[in-house]
Amino acid sequence: MNISSLSKKSKSKLQKAKDLRALESSYTDLLGKNGEINLLLKSLGKLPQEKRKKSGKALNELKSSLEAIFQSRRSHLKERIFSEELKRDSLDVTLPGRIREFGTLHPVTSTIIEISNFFVSKGFDIRSGPEAESEYYNFEALNIPEDHPAKDMHDTFYLDNGVLLRTHTSPVQIRTMEKQDPPIRIICPGRVYRKDSDLTHTPMFHQIEGLVLEENASFAVLKGMLKDFINNFFGKETELRFRPSYFPFTEPSAEVDIKWKKGWLEILGCGMVHPNVLEMSGINSKKYSGFAFGLGPERMAMLKYNIPDLRSFFENDIRFLKQFR
Amino acid sequence: MQFSRNWLKEFVDLNISDEELCDQLTMLGLEVDNYKNYHSKLTGKDAVIKLDLTPNRGDCYSLLGVAREIAALNNLTVKLPKIKKVNSSVKSPIKVTVCDEAPRYVGRYLTGVNLKKKTSPLVKERLKLSGIKVIDPIVDITNYVLLELGQPLHAFDANKIEGNLEVRFAKEKERITLLDENKLKLDKNCLVIADQSEPVALAGIMGGFETGISSKTLSIYLESAFFKPEVIRGRARKFSLQTDASTRFERGVDFELQTLAIERASLLIHESIGGKFSPVQEFSKRSSIPKNKDISLNFKNVNKILGTEFSKPFIRRNLKSLGLVNSQSTGDAIKVKVPSWRFDLKIEADLIEEIARLVGYNNLPQSPLSKKINNPVDSLHNSVRNSFKFMGYNEVITYSFIDESLAELVEPKKGQLIFVNNPISENMNIMRPSLLPSLLDTLSYNLNQGIENLKIFEIGTVFQKGKNHKINQKELIGGLISGIKDKDNWSGLNEPMDFFDLKGDLENVLNDSAKYYFKKAEIPYLHPGKTALLLKGESVIGYIGSVNPKLLDKFDIKQEVNFFEISINATSSKSNIKFEKFSRFPFAQRDLSFIVDEGIASSMITDSIISKAGDNLKEIKLFDVYKGKGIPQGKTSLTYALGWQASNRTLKDKEIDEIIKKLVAFLSKKFNAKLRS
Repeated sequence: MNISSLSKKSKSKLQKAKDLRALESSYTDLLGKNGEINLLLKSLGKLPQEKRKKSGKALNELKSSLEAIFQSRRSHLKERIFSEELKRDSLDVTLPGRIREFGTLHPVTSTIIEISNFFVSKGFDIRSGPEAESEYYNFEALNIPEDHPAKDMHDTFYLDNGVLLRTHTSPVQIRTMEKQDPPIRIICPGRVYRKDSDLTHTPMFHQIEGLVLEENASFAVLKGMLKDFINNFFGKETELRFRPSYFPFTEPSAEVDIKWKKGWLEILGCGMVHPNVLEMSGINSKKYSGFAFGLGPERMAMLKYNIPDLRSFFENDIRFLKQFR
Repeated sequence: MQFSRNWLKEFVDLNISDEELCDQLTMLGLEVDNYKNYHSKLTGKDAVIKLDLTPNRGDCYSLLGVAREIAALNNLTVKLPKIKKVNSSVKSPIKVTVCDEAPRYVGRYLTGVNLKKKTSPLVKERLKLSGIKVIDPIVDITNYVLLELGQPLHAFDANKIEGNLEVRFAKEKERITLLDENKLKLDKNCLVIADQSEPVALAGIMGGFETGISSKTLSIYLESAFFKPEVIRGRARKFSLQTDASTRFERGVDFELQTLAIERASLLIHESIGGKFSPVQEFSKRSSIPKNKDISLNFKNVNKILGTEFSKPFIRRNLKSLGLVNSQSTGDAIKVKVPSWRFDLKIEADLIEEIARLVGYNNLPQSPLSKKINNPVDSLHNSVRNSFKFMGYNEVITYSFIDESLAELVEPKKGQLIFVNNPISENMNIMRPSLLPSLLDTLSYNLNQGIENLKIFEIGTVFQKGKNHKINQKELIGGLISGIKDKDNWSGLNEPMDFFDLKGDLENVLNDSAKYYFKKAEIPYLHPGKTALLLKGESVIGYIGSVNPKLLDKFDIKQEVNFFEISINATSSKSNIKFEKFSRFPFAQRDLSFIVDEGIASSMITDSIISKAGDNLKEIKLFDVYKGKGIPQGKTSLTYALGWQASNRTLKDKEIDEIIKKLVAFLSKKFNAKLRS
């Protein structure tokens, strides 16, 4: 037996194996249980001791070197397969992802959520109430008597039986005060209705009214809170001012303006709750004081997002809505 | 209220720039709406200031009123215009009977006037700058005094008055033709000035046409009266007549001003067109003239409400500068007398505002709101809004009022609809009974803009007539899809969005989907074969369906539209999540296909499997519904993936086989279902 020729032959067989399959089958032929090398090893017993030892060593050496060749050849072939596969399998990675486009929240909703989040973080609860309201909750309980010129500020839509569409969300404050004892901190966002339609008015819009009713609610606290709110919403550097105004349900009453593009812009109304309003809702006005404020999400959104026309909010053009991601 | 700055300067010595003047006015609550420079040939450099007044400040509808405010702020004194009494030389032929609602009526007769004379250029200029039309010397002077003092005056042609005058309520069916030739039918709520035969003026609003003055007028009867605000309020609006007089009377005119005003007007008339004057006649009902009210004010309350630490003398000084004189003082409280021109001051809070105004709202302190923790609740439905947003829907907000013809499509019973009695336009006269018409309208609008694929939702209130004519208001969420699915993808299948796309999205947001179920139903405006009610127990929570093509046709929509609306309360909100232990034993999974008759609701098969598959059934998923090749005509194949798992052991194949055998037998018996091999 010529081990060296076997070695040459078998090494070349493994090294030149075309593919994994050929390699595996050569491996079995050579190194398998009944492979050539094992058969040879088994036949060694017939040889004389001296020769047996020498051939055995040589065969075992060959065995381990073939094992190494096999391993290396195998990883080479595998590598080749992977790289060929990888070469074949290629994407146009510049194609857009298989996106499921998100929708959008309406900018008025986003604005209401943003404003509400501020107040909720200050311990306010969110309350809601009916849109079809009674004359009592919308006007009388808010100290707006029949025929008062202040009613001119509220062009009201009427349904049947004296029911009306609320002109502000203040009725929710009354409903809350009737049910809940102070301390009260609430905001009431919702739809409101006024008979008005032009560039700056739509017959339906939104309002967020807020009410704080506790023992130490003062005008100073109202000022501090609203300054905080405005700086939070419009930015720290936004200047604001409070100026006297008139609402039947607050006294003193104030309007808050912010500095916007060099001029002052009216942004919200507020004031200390009128004692008549407190008394009518069963709150002791000697013990508790409160302040209220009301603001318009549409106006806030127009300023924040630079929207020129109020009416676009209710046109619901998808090209408009999709901009508020 | 609009006026010339130079004119205002005649009432108060102003040494401040116009910019500061405007700022002061605004910060006092008399908001400057407009400011314009003006060059006057008569008085030199001037400016026009326009104020936007709040309805409580009737007293500021005059230069005198505005001057008072500026004077109080700057510690100045107000100068009244020149009033030199005009001597009387004739007797008035007219007497006036007054009443409770008009407790003071000051009149003056004058004769021998020449109305062909011209109004003085200064009066003319100032009226024009105040936006008031120049008419004739008498009317111009009455308007001039109105602007100066805030007292509306009226001039009758004395020769056209029959007998004496009386202030009274109109009788039913009495009529009057006003100066603007408007003919009004009066009722017994209208206060009028009447001569012996008929009303000659609508008190505090406008004079009558018949007794109005003209260039031929020789004698005049001048009226300077006090009418109570409550008898003027609402009347002007009722007749759609807002006049300079009614604006002032309904807000309150100084009840001590009448004589002064008539003297001032007499002087101006005398100076410009001459004439002979009667004595000033005052007719009054003393007991009905308002009294100067006393208001008590507790210093502590001022500081409590404003959050300030003002001293008593400081507060007193401020009140005094506004004409609120301290009459009585005890401990922390004082009593102040309200001047006759301030109808808006009634209670302590009103005085607190006066102090705040004078100090300046911006100079008042500010302090932080105390900390308070609360449990946030998802009252704004943020969770469901965001779910729809992330499923690709655009939120819309549409008007709550819709056109009657659209409302009728979804609510054929007209009696159930809620009408708006005074709609803003004829096509917005119904409070919507469903969100569908508005969402279809939005779809149609966008289709017209060339946008063909739409997924939208809205949360809003719907209105319907309830019991006893009450209005039922319910907050719903509605969703609508139409167009091609996954159009935002280059690998989309180009299939239309259908019923199940919408239903899947809806099922995603139900708060505890196990408690809800869908039931086939028919709703007239939806597709009869593609509509389901959503129920929880016995009650209907909402519905889903394909919109009936007949309805789509009204909107000129030609593609399939699917819509749902359900009560907002059925959607998920943050719930109390409690961890549940799960089994770590193997899961036995089997896929089973049943062939059933077409028309059998899959939910019935599913429910039967659940009821017969034992407690260890942990998963059931209908993953294939197939009709066609390999399935007999009129049959459907339903393929379920079922999974069993026990909590304490490994289930044996035999057990599962046994369950399946029973299941198949049961379905075969009940629905004639065959297991598909």
